[in-house]
Amino acid sequence: MQELIQLTINGLLQGGIYSLISIGLTLIFGVTRVVNFAHGEFLMLAMYATFFLFQMSGMDPYFSLLVVTPLLFVLGLVAERLVIHPILNAPSFMQIFSTVGLSVALQNAALFFWTADYRSVKTAYSTETLVVSDLLISVPRLIAFGSAVLISWGIFLYLKKTYTGKAMRAVAQNRTASTLMGINIRKIYFLTFGLGTALVGMAGVLLMPVYYVFPTVGGLFVLTAFVVVVLGGMGNLTGAFAGGLIIGLVESYSGFYLATQLKEAVYFIIFILVLFLKPSGLYGIVGSEEMGEK
Amino acid sequence: MKPARFQFWKNPQGIILLLTFVALLIFPQVVQNPFVLHLLIMMLFYASLGAAWNIIGGFAGQLSLGHAAFFGLGAYTCVLLHHYTGVSPWVGMLLGVLIASLFAAAIGYPCFRLRGPFFTLATIAFAEVLRILVIYFKDFTKGSVGITIPQKMGLANFMFREKEPYLYIILIFTAGVFLISHLIEKSRFGYQLIALREDEDAAESLGVNTARTKLKAAIISAALTSFGGVFYAQYILFIEPYSEFSLDLSIQFALVPMIGGMGTSIGPIIGSFVLTPLQELLRSWLGGQFAGLYLVIYGVILMLVVIFLPQGILGLVKGRWASSGEKS
Repeated sequence: MQELIQLTINGLLQGGIYSLISIGLTLIFGVTRVVNFAHGEFLMLAMYATFFLFQMSGMDPYFSLLVVTPLLFVLGLVAERLVIHPILNAPSFMQIFSTVGLSVALQNAALFFWTADYRSVKTAYSTETLVVSDLLISVPRLIAFGSAVLISWGIFLYLKKTYTGKAMRAVAQNRTASTLMGINIRKIYFLTFGLGTALVGMAGVLLMPVYYVFPTVGGLFVLTAFVVVVLGGMGNLTGAFAGGLIIGLVESYSGFYLATQLKEAVYFIIFILVLFLKPSGLYGIVGSEEMGEK
Repeated sequence: MKPARFQFWKNPQGIILLLTFVALLIFPQVVQNPFVLHLLIMMLFYASLGAAWNIIGGFAGQLSLGHAAFFGLGAYTCVLLHHYTGVSPWVGMLLGVLIASLFAAAIGYPCFRLRGPFFTLATIAFAEVLRILVIYFKDFTKGSVGITIPQKMGLANFMFREKEPYLYIILIFTAGVFLISHLIEKSRFGYQLIALREDEDAAESLGVNTARTKLKAAIISAALTSFGGVFYAQYILFIEPYSEFSLDLSIQFALVPMIGGMGTSIGPIIGSFVLTPLQELLRSWLGGQFAGLYLVIYGVILMLVVIFLPQGILGLVKGRWASSGEKS
């Protein structure tokens, strides 16, 4: 029992990070209908930014949230202008290739500038743990989880309450109708891309105290994020949040009860099953899986 | 629409291809520089695999990024069979082709219900699962260490000391894949594929059994791709799961026809003959001192092609879809 609770805690804490990464991805997909294969590279860039801020100016990783988040927001805007904007109306495979190209270029630029070395941030709290009646809870992971919940909640509020947020949801629901209602959809795409990228940037910062950064780190997380996003229903934020936690738990349980090497296979198989049985995802609207088609 | 007869040698394109084929046949007799021969082998290798991908990805418009699965299945079946029983790789190749085709049929049926990015993601997932399983069952597959194929040169073992025989094998294979693509392009089956790519529901309503048509294309594509896997294993005499089942490889297979011109039989050949030398040269110039730099350029080229050359080089040359079968 003890062991099961411990696994559940570990899984949920890991899942929080997945949720945060996936919410950015699903937001971008929901609004622009572009599957962004370069999403993981933005995570990688945020992690490097956190690392260098820490190394050069000794900035605390959590404090660097204030610097890295706007930085990634701007990076997302630039990427949208250069790479996404020209292909918004192209068939989905063209968009996939364009973002794959961005991913390859960013990954290898990182390799070129910063080598393939694994780098990590060593802080006083990196290995700190809380002990609650024999259960071990990593403090930085708990902070990451708590922040992920808060940030997701903030995004939900933003989308619910603000004008721009409502416009984003409107565009996600129906492009044509939103245009007719006077929404500047190009501007919404632009902002959404920045916002989604800023979200993955925050995930990168929160991940840094407990993880290593290296040029291909994004690839590890982006495939997981795709699984989460499909599980939750593409474009569905609540779904992505729940999906992240579910995948975190699946990973934790299967890593322990089956074999560490098989945990990825387990969630890919879940992914395939979801695609076949309920391609709209756990929380998606039936038929929404075809919205990728234009 | 009456399918045209098989007569590609009657047009200038066909004559150029035929001349290229003959030139490549004579080439190794004249030039023996191993780097040049290797480059030619890789050009033909990617041309054939791009063309194999193009059957399902280009003609039918089903963007698979999991073709490395078929490639790896072919390579692993052949090498494992040889490793455990000593059976000739040629026999292993047949078994590999069979297994890859069965796998394509098994995953194709459910996958084809998915559209757009969902289909693509599912194909990626299948290749990933295979890779993870190959790594996990290391008692049987040797896991991530990989398998070095013991050197026993000779035609019977599909293993040669020189590059020449490899060049001839891949040349014949590429010609074969091209002919198959060309036959498909000009056949009723090809028109059905193109019809369902343009509008699946419309094709269905016109009486095309889209599920079965796509499945047929997927099996042909998978079978050809698995031969590519066998060839590559026998060429470098080493296999390991990270490269055999990698997403990068799947992307490369799709990229070749995209650069040349998707959904045309000649596109993948043009694509590979432009892209492969470029890649190999960039790698040999920049690969040594600047790790990663050539891939940065590669990534940038990829983005530029998608944005400025969405119809590939053929589209640039002709200013419209190249093949007459593709006017929509």
